[in-house]
Amino acid sequence: MNSAYAFIREQLQAMANGGLLPQPFEYVFVINALLCALLIGPLLGVLGSMVMIKRMAFFSQSIGNAAMTGVAIGVLIGESYTSPYLSMFGFCLLFALTLKYTQQRTTLANDTLIGVFLSISLAVGASLLLFVSAKINTHVMESVLFGSILAVDDTDMNVLLGVTLVCALIGLPLYNGMLLASLNPSLAHARGVAIRTVDYLFVLLVTLVTVACLKIVGAVLVEALLLIPAAAARNVTRSLSGLVTLAALIATFSCVVGILLPMQFHLPVPTGGAIVLVAALVFIVTTLIRATSSRFQGASV
Amino acid sequence: MSAEPILRGPAVAFDGVSLSLGGTQVLHDVSFRIPAGALHCLVGPNGGGKTSLVRTLLGQMPHTGHIHFEGSATPVGYVPQALDFDRTVPMTVNDVMALLGQRRPAFFGSGRRLRGRVAQALARTGVGSLGGQPFGSLSGGQRQRVLLAQALNPSPRLLILDEPTAGIDAPGIQLVEALVAELNACGVTVLWINHDLEQVRRVAQSVTVINRQVLYHGPARALGSDWGTPP
Repeated sequence: MNSAYAFIREQLQAMANGGLLPQPFEYVFVINALLCALLIGPLLGVLGSMVMIKRMAFFSQSIGNAAMTGVAIGVLIGESYTSPYLSMFGFCLLFALTLKYTQQRTTLANDTLIGVFLSISLAVGASLLLFVSAKINTHVMESVLFGSILAVDDTDMNVLLGVTLVCALIGLPLYNGMLLASLNPSLAHARGVAIRTVDYLFVLLVTLVTVACLKIVGAVLVEALLLIPAAAARNVTRSLSGLVTLAALIATFSCVVGILLPMQFHLPVPTGGAIVLVAALVFIVTTLIRATSSRFQGASV
Repeated sequence: MSAEPILRGPAVAFDGVSLSLGGTQVLHDVSFRIPAGALHCLVGPNGGGKTSLVRTLLGQMPHTGHIHFEGSATPVGYVPQALDFDRTVPMTVNDVMALLGQRRPAFFGSGRRLRGRVAQALARTGVGSLGGQPFGSLSGGQRQRVLLAQALNPSPRLLILDEPTAGIDAPGIQLVEALVAELNACGVTVLWINHDLEQVRRVAQSVTVINRQVLYHGPARALGSDWGTPP
């Protein structure tokens, strides 16, 4: 894949040098960042709309925060400081699957259980960070917390591409079953949906996407990018296809504009923050549209 | 509109079915048989285990005892009491039908073949004009009709109804009764959870009264006015 990335970069740089594209396209890191944006936009749009419908926003937030503990473990066992994917995927998957397993065997409310797991994970992470703080500088933790899309390399892009493919192969054929299982488990069961399996697979997909997007938007803000585009789209749509399409477009738009805008205007804003702020602006606009448009006034949907 | 040709439904035999949830005995040694092609009602007080028995039949509950189908039970049509649905989620009636009736993701829209079948099913339950409406904006009665329509696609051999006429107006009740009778006449086995004893006597051939255990099983016309009291 690396030669394919190199080919795309060369073509775009040549076009920028020839004046066909804006000047930032002359830089490799900008092209890398935009390629990632084009991958995660649709991914976050589709998955985010489902996270919203299934009311799992708090769950995805907890996965993002658990990734910090994953980073600390990665540094402790000697993984790369900048891309400790093995530990992040490993710990986050363990966290998410244990949480789901417990959820199915307790009568506790979801938010209570997630809160308990999140606290445990953060406590472990904070304790481990004391041990690893001597090994890393604050910029490593900053990039985990708030993203560092301009430092994305070919490995990060391969991880993102791999996760996108896994999501498409698992998520698309099971999309209806995953959604139906949360709307009415009995009806889903009557339709032949293996409820427990699709629930676990959905948790797996949310975890993979969350970890793969950490480099771009960071642990603190990754949940925002899953949720805000879907919430913004929900404001102005009345159908499922409208919701998913618009959420994907808003997520992609936010990523592209969030990367380019600070660069164009030399704003000292981290990319993760800029991307989420753009998404938030879109959310505010759609909220205003909903509040003022006669098409939506008085409607419950 | 006439029903599609339907293969004969199965007989369903419950044999010593027991179910405990959280230390509470929900069902105790429930045994009865629904003949093939019968319209059978399940009645009983709230908390008596009717919905749990249906969920056990659907394979959702870990139980003891056996449930046999004599003949093929699939496709199963199931009409739940309600769809636990956030009413503000932007999802049209057609989206709900696509979610239930096709493999490709519902956000891609319905295929042409499914669109025709969905339109026919919605028309049969009297909500043919509501396909493009947001599901959350429908009244309780309209939602019940949509839930009934989804159970007709694909044509079921076994139809399980969990109080489908709750919250429906009189014309709606007549429509549901006529539609269920039409399907039953084509050979579909119907299991109907019902609270309305008058309706049970009117529509059903046989009835089982349960309150954790079977209190009465026999012809619907012989059902008394109290739970489990034959005349």
